[in-house]
Parts: sequence; structure tokens; C-alpha cells
Amino acid sequence: MPTVSAHDLLALAPVAILALGGIALLLTEVFLTSGRRGYQAGLTVAFAVAAGAAALSAGNLGPVFGGQATADGFAAFVTATVCGGLALAALVGASWLGARDAERGEFYALALFATSGMSLLAMATDLLVAFIAIEVMSLSIYALAAFMRRGRKPAEAAFKYFILGAFSSALLLYGTSLVYGATGTGGRAGSTLLADVARGAGSPLLVAGLALILAGLAFKVGAVPFHVWTPDVYEGAPTPVTAFMAAGVKAAAFALLARVMMAAYAGTAGTADGLFLQLLATLALLTMLVGNLFAVPQRSVKRMLAYSSIAHAGYLLLAVLAAGQPALRADALSALLFYLASYTVAAIGAFAVLGAVEDRGAGPGAEPPGACDLDRLAGLSRRRPLLAFSMTVFMLSLAGVPPTAGFVAKLLVFKSAIAAGSWGLAVAGILTSALGAYYYLRVVVFMYMRPAAEGEPEGLFSPLLSVALVIAVVAVVVLGIGPEPLSGFARAAAAMVR
Amino acid sequence: MLLATVIFLPLAGALVAALLPAGEPQQHRGWALFVSAATFAVSLGLWAGFDASMAAPEFQFEVNLPWVPSAGIGFHVGLDGVALLLVMLTTALTPVVILSAFTVGERVKEFMISLLVLETAMIGTFAALDLVLFYVFWEAILVPMYLLIGVWGSVNRLYATVKFFLYTFAASVLMLVAILYVFAHDGGSFDYLTARQSLQVTPGAQTALFLAFALAFAVKVPMFPLHTWLPDAHTEAPTAGSVILAGVLLKMGTFGFFRYALPLFPDAALAWRPVIAALAVVGIVYGALMCLVQQDMKRLVAYSSVSHLGFVMLGLMALTAEGLTGGVYQMLNHGISTGALFLLVGMLYERRHTRLISAYGGVAKQVPWIATAFVVVTLSSIGLPGTNGFVGEFLILSGTWLGRMPGTQVAAAIAATGVILGAVYMLWLVERVFYGKIGDEENRHLPDLSLREAFVIAPMIALIVVMGLVPQPFLAPARPAVERLVTRMQEADRRLRARDPARPPSVGTQPPAVAQLPGAAPGRALAALPPAGEGR
Repeated sequence: MPTVSAHDLLALAPVAILALGGIALLLTEVFLTSGRRGYQAGLTVAFAVAAGAAALSAGNLGPVFGGQATADGFAAFVTATVCGGLALAALVGASWLGARDAERGEFYALALFATSGMSLLAMATDLLVAFIAIEVMSLSIYALAAFMRRGRKPAEAAFKYFILGAFSSALLLYGTSLVYGATGTGGRAGSTLLADVARGAGSPLLVAGLALILAGLAFKVGAVPFHVWTPDVYEGAPTPVTAFMAAGVKAAAFALLARVMMAAYAGTAGTADGLFLQLLATLALLTMLVGNLFAVPQRSVKRMLAYSSIAHAGYLLLAVLAAGQPALRADALSALLFYLASYTVAAIGAFAVLGAVEDRGAGPGAEPPGACDLDRLAGLSRRRPLLAFSMTVFMLSLAGVPPTAGFVAKLLVFKSAIAAGSWGLAVAGILTSALGAYYYLRVVVFMYMRPAAEGEPEGLFSPLLSVALVIAVVAVVVLGIGPEPLSGFARAAAAMVR
Repeated sequence: MLLATVIFLPLAGALVAALLPAGEPQQHRGWALFVSAATFAVSLGLWAGFDASMAAPEFQFEVNLPWVPSAGIGFHVGLDGVALLLVMLTTALTPVVILSAFTVGERVKEFMISLLVLETAMIGTFAALDLVLFYVFWEAILVPMYLLIGVWGSVNRLYATVKFFLYTFAASVLMLVAILYVFAHDGGSFDYLTARQSLQVTPGAQTALFLAFALAFAVKVPMFPLHTWLPDAHTEAPTAGSVILAGVLLKMGTFGFFRYALPLFPDAALAWRPVIAALAVVGIVYGALMCLVQQDMKRLVAYSSVSHLGFVMLGLMALTAEGLTGGVYQMLNHGISTGALFLLVGMLYERRHTRLISAYGGVAKQVPWIATAFVVVTLSSIGLPGTNGFVGEFLILSGTWLGRMPGTQVAAAIAATGVILGAVYMLWLVERVFYGKIGDEENRHLPDLSLREAFVIAPMIALIVVMGLVPQPFLAPARPAVERLVTRMQEADRRLRARDPARPPSVGTQPPAVAQLPGAAPGRALAALPPAGEGR
């Protein structure tokens, strides 16, 4: 058992800050039940910012806890991204829950716990640590998905998510145990450290183990064919939770996926890495195709965004695939990081707008079936010009139209994919993204070019929501016009990964 | 920095306009007109400062700044003569369009902002010398244009605007893959000059790259059979949108062939040239025939664009100095004359609220000035000597006739029928709309040109006449760029011939028949060729 040094604890600071924040919010809920809970979102944002800052300022501490985790720039970037996502989602959540009289400290506490799991996952280089981090993240999110428990849809969504999530965790654990067994064939026997995974190159046990781990992670990111839970869960969960889930879980799970990929590829070129690559390429292709194709016929914007998040997972898989080749690693990882950051702001922004206009129905748990229908957005540009403008910016970014962050992100990802020689996948990806333009634009068509239905309410007004939207819009546009600071930073962060 | 100013002045104006109150449309109209006029004034500095001699650098007013250095993307802009002409066309057309759009009464603020953003994107497309920067500007066109058609268009606008967006977006994304592939094979640079110099790919890959670029450009031109978005978009767009679309946006496609598809992938371009030229010829005839059966004035003008742009493409594909020069000139002509036609049709529409040809007839007595302007523009459109259209079409047809592409004379001959058909459908349109008896009582009370409308149409008429009588100042800037392209393509041709001795030369001008007579001194015959000919 390695001793724990101050160095290790410093590396763990972001995780600790988030967990402490969660505990603090639980305690305030016990002792400060004044009915005015406006401070809770503020506290959450403060903790998120503190954790993000701690991660960024820690710099490159290298491996900690005897190699079970690493505090490199990559981890810091992912942590900062999920913390940013948390802060935005908390602002959105405050206004969304406030409008439904459902604001409770538990909501923020759970979100903070989930984020602490995500930031630990970003650092994990040991499959067991990763498993614990995933469970911390997932359990909190299961509970968050059931937060509006009175409705039919939230309950169904949460239950589905829990059952399938537990199943995927089991796959992950089983895969880990197989890998554990396989590492014995060379070097150190019986290790779950990613650094040792490569030593088992070629053994069938390792191949099976890696495939199972891949399947488990594919569940978490919603990659086809492990995506079937995504639309239902995304649609049923409270909108701010969906936003947080789409951005945060994806970022953290992709961090681990990238690390597994690199570890699997680091060994001698044998069956293990070759098969892993093929599996990943197939997943990427299917995910891009299915995600985009199924998003087209959706009437519910929320469901459309769920399928779109599947599609984006496909593009991210392209970057992971390219990260396998050591020569292209820095390029591919920085593309992955930039994509995660740009997707986080655009997706949370889109869900925030949706949350503002969705139909609240008669009372808690009485959400009408068409709560997020496209018709809810009809004529939005007349009723709420700024809301419509923000949504347009997010849609363009998700579609990858310049000059938005989404375009730069796609450019970087496809660039690394082509450099890695998988131009066939890049062509498939870019063609499906053209398909994406269709359903994203339909939202814009409804907002700008269709008249509003009579008596349509104006939707949610909230200063916190406006703050979140302004931040997201500015981020999307600034990252689209001047991506250099972030992309340079992502590059520096990716260069630290070994 | 002059060029950067011209590019970003409209965008800055749009940002200021975003802060002005939406409730005061008059302010927005005035501001947009002022900004676009100022942009034109600044761009005159480019015109004055451009050195059109062969010795001058290929790209002038260059600005080369790092933009996203971590990804190898630079903000590299500069103008050759062709880009200069198209930038001037854009800056000159935009104030006219804005002045013509003073009648737009709905959401004036957003309308003017869209037009100004569009101007920046258009100028940027012509000025970009970095492949990603080019792509960014190229795609940035789509959003404001999409809004212009979709928000301010007529009845079928939703269908038209979504079709426009998806058609052009889907065709362009493959170009992005091609750009990234170029990056991976030219030593890791998105810079156009580097890519042109050091691109190393297999012939198969070059073909794929060429086709990816060509597809994006061919949809924008639009070339037959990829033109189907155009009639819908043109017909449904508001007047300002149609004018910009016809005046500038279509030229982005032909410009793309001139600047990117041909010089970057010369071998593949030479291989596919007959196909593209054949499609251009089909487009010329097909567009003209379609014009004959149109009921809707705007749709007719839209199909005439397909025909006219076919001429431009044929001129480019001829790869002779004359053909290329004619193609470039015809880009300007089409921008001016078709732009003017859309302006005039728009004026008629504002008076009668219909675009159906059959609803008019005999209105020349009511609106003599509109009729006069329409006839002048029509004459330019059909290429009457003395107007700009004649210069362009003549150069294209003679350049194609004298070219060395297999079957070039057949192409030129068939294309020439397009000129005749053009006269038929345009003059028939004039007859049906302006002459004859007044059929509909409503047509008896139409007001003639207002002062504002006179200011809109006068510059277009002036350009038509000036460019027809004194073409030299407008041809001169294009000359170095044209000659460089011919030389470049000749080098590629020579390379291919070195590999395959049986291959006849296919670029440049055919030596005149006399030169092939026995006894004629080859030196003298070659000296008679234009400087860019094979003899150089």
C-alpha cells in the first residue's frame, strides 16, 4: 500500500472541493430551511468555480497515489469542463426548479457529488479507481434523473437509467477482472493499472476484457448499439439534469475511454489493439449514423437533442480513435478536449432554452405529452428575440456551422481523424453532420419563420437563466471566432499525457 | 490592413446596428446604407492601389496573421485581379441592394444586419488565402442568406430556404474533408499558397479532392444538374436576397473553380474538364429552354442565370486566355445585369404584387422609365454589342472556339445557340410585360420610378454602358491572374504529355490555321499568339 503524500492530496483538491460542497449543501438544507433557497445555486457555482480553478492551477503533478491516478493537464481540462458544465446547469436548474417550486439543496448536492465523481474519473489511470468514480457519478445522476419523481416520465426514465446503468457497470467490472487476469502474462501480474494493460498484448483474455470495458463505457456515453436508454432517459429527466448529463457524463466517460484506448494501443501491435481499434471504429460509424438518422423524425426537441448527443458521441469517438496513434496523440486529444468544451456550452445552452419554453402543465408531475414539442418554439423570435437568438447560436454550433465553437471542434476532430488515415470515417462523419444541419435548422425555422400559436405563454423569465445563456452564447461565439486560447491550452494539456 | 478594413467594416456596422433600437426602422436603413457606402468608398482604395502589371506580386494587400496557430490556421487574405473585381462587385452592389430594400417594412433591423453580415462573408470568401478561412467565410454566407429567404421571402419560403441551405451545406462539407486531406499531405499547412506549391497526393486522391471541391462549387454556380435549388431560392427570396444571390453568391462557385479547383488539382481538373464543359453547355441550352416556358418573371430570370453561368463555366474550362478572361468578365456582367433584372422585377412586384408574366402587358405606357431601364438591362443580358454582355460572351465563345480541349468547337457552337435563345426569351419577356395592350385594369394605375428607385437602377445602367464601351479597365486587373492560371495548367499539361507522348496538348489557344500551312514561319505564328499561349 503506497503512502499518501501531500502531493497526492493536492492533486485530489478539485474532487475534495466538490465533495465538500455537496456535504455543505446537504447541511444547509437541514439547518437553513427558510424557504428562500436562492443562495444554493450560488454556492454550487462557487464550489464549481473553485474546483475548476484548483484543477487548472495545480498544473501537471503527474502520477499520484502510486500511479492509480494522474493529475495531468488532460485531467485538469476535463475537470474544468465538467465544473463549467455544473455551474451552467446549476444556474439553469435554479430557474427551472424555482418555477416548479421544486428547489431543494439535494439537487445541488447530488450534482456536486456527481461532478466530484467525474473529476476523479478524469484523473483515473487505474480501472478500479475509475470504477469507483463512475459509480459515484452514476448513482448521483440516477437520483437526479428521478428528482421530479411525481411525474410518470421521470420515474420511468430514472428506473430505466438505473437498471441499464447498473448493467453497464457490471460489464465494466467484469471486463476489469478479465484484464486483471490478463496482465499476468507479462510484467507485473495482477494489476488493474492502465499502464500494465498493454503488457498483456495479444492474450484473448485481454481482448475480451477490453471489449467489455468498451461496452460498459459505450453505455455511459450513449454510443450505438448501447444507446437505447438515451432518448427515453434524456426526455424523462428534468431538463437541467438532462443538460448536465449530456455534457458532464460524456466528458468524464470520454476521458477514461481515451486513456483506455491509449493504454491498449501502447502495447506491441497485436490482436488486442487491432481488435479494439476495429470495435471502436465500428462503434463510431454506427453512432454517427444512427444518432443523426434517428434525430431527423423527432417532434420533441428534447428527444431530438438526445439523439443529437448520441451523434456527437460518434464524432468524439473519431478523436479517441485517432488518439491511438502515438504520433497524433497530442492533436487528437486536444481535438477531443476542445470538442467536449464546445459541446458542453452549446448543449447546456440548448437545453436551457428548451427548459425555459417547455410546457409546465397544471402542476408537479402533470407534464403534458407535448411539453417539448417543436410547436412550443414557433414564433419564439417575436415573443423572446434574445432567447431565439441564443437557441439559433446553439443550433448552429451543434450543427457545426462557422463561425461557432462547434465548427472549430468538428474541424479539429476531423483533422485528426484524417491525419490518422481514417478518412472514410471522416467522410461518413461529415456527411451525417450535413444531415444534422437539417434537424437543427428545423428548430430555427420554427422560431423565426412560423407564426406563434394563439395564447402561447412567454415561457420562463429568470435572471439566473439569462446569465447562463449569456455565458453560453458568448462562449460559443468567442470560441468560434478566436479559438486559439482554448485550443492552444487544450494542446498544451494534451501534450502532458503520456 | 486596407483589405481587412473592407472585410470587417460591414460586420462592425452590423454590430453597431444590433445596439440601435429595433423600433426605429429609418435609423437602421440609413445606418446600413451609410456603412455599405463607406465600405464601397474604402474598397475604391483597393481598386486604385492595385497593380495590374505582370511584374506585380500575385496577391496584393496581403495580410497574414496567425489565427489558430495550434491548428495551423492563419488569417491570410490577399487579392489577385479576379478577386479584386469580385470584391468591387460586392461592395458596389451592396449599397444598391440596401437602398432597394428600403421598402422592407418588417423586422428592418434584422434584415439590415443580415445584409451587412452577408457582405463581410462575401468579401472574405473572395479575399481568403487560407483554406479554412475560406471555408469559414464560404459557410458563413449560408446563415444570413437562409434567414433572408426564410423570414422575408414569399409564400413558399420555408421549402426554398431549407432546400437552399441543405443543398449548399451538404455539398460543401465534403470540401472540408478535402481541405483536411490537403492539410495532411502538403506538409501540414492550410495556407493556399503552400498547398498549391507542395501538395503531394496520388492521382486517385487528387481526383477525389478535385471532385469534392468541384461538387461544392458546382452546386453554388449552379451547374446542371445540381441547379434545382436555384429557381426556388431565387423565386422565394425577397428582392434584396435575389440580387445578392444572383449578383455575388453564384460567382463564389465560379471563383472557386478559378482559384481553388483548377490550380490546386490541375491533373484531375484536366481529366474532368470535358465533363464539366459538357455540363456547362447542357446548362446553357437547358437554362435557356426552361426560360421559354416560365410563367413567373423571377423564375425566368433564375433560369437565365443557369444559362449565363453555364457560359462562365465554359469560358473557364476552355483554359485559354480569352475564355478565362471572358469568364471573369461575364461573372461581373451577370452580377450587374441579372442583379438589375431582379431589382426591376422587384419594383414591378411592389406595384402589382404578382410575378406572373400574364398579369402584365402594355405597362410601358404607365411606367416608361422602368420599361426603358428594363430594355437596356435586357440588351445587356442578351449580349448586344455596346453593352457589357457582348464583351463577355464574345470572349468566351471565341476563347472556346480557339481552345484545344477535345470537341471544343462543338461546345462553342452549341453554346452559341444559347445566345440566340437568350435573345428570344428575354425579348419575348419584354414584349409580354411591357408592350401590347393593357389587359388588366389594375395595370393602368402604376406609378413610375421614384427618386429612390432611380438611384438604385442608375448605377447599374451606367455600369452596363461603361463596361460595354470601355472594357479595358475592367479586363486589365484580371489579366495577370488569368495568365498565371493558363501557365499553371500548361505546366500540368506538359507533365502529363511527358508521361504519355501520344497525348495532344489540351491547354491554351489553338495556333491559327495559317500557322500550320507549310512554309509559314513557326516563330512568327507563335509570336502572334497572346502572351499566355502555348508559344511562350
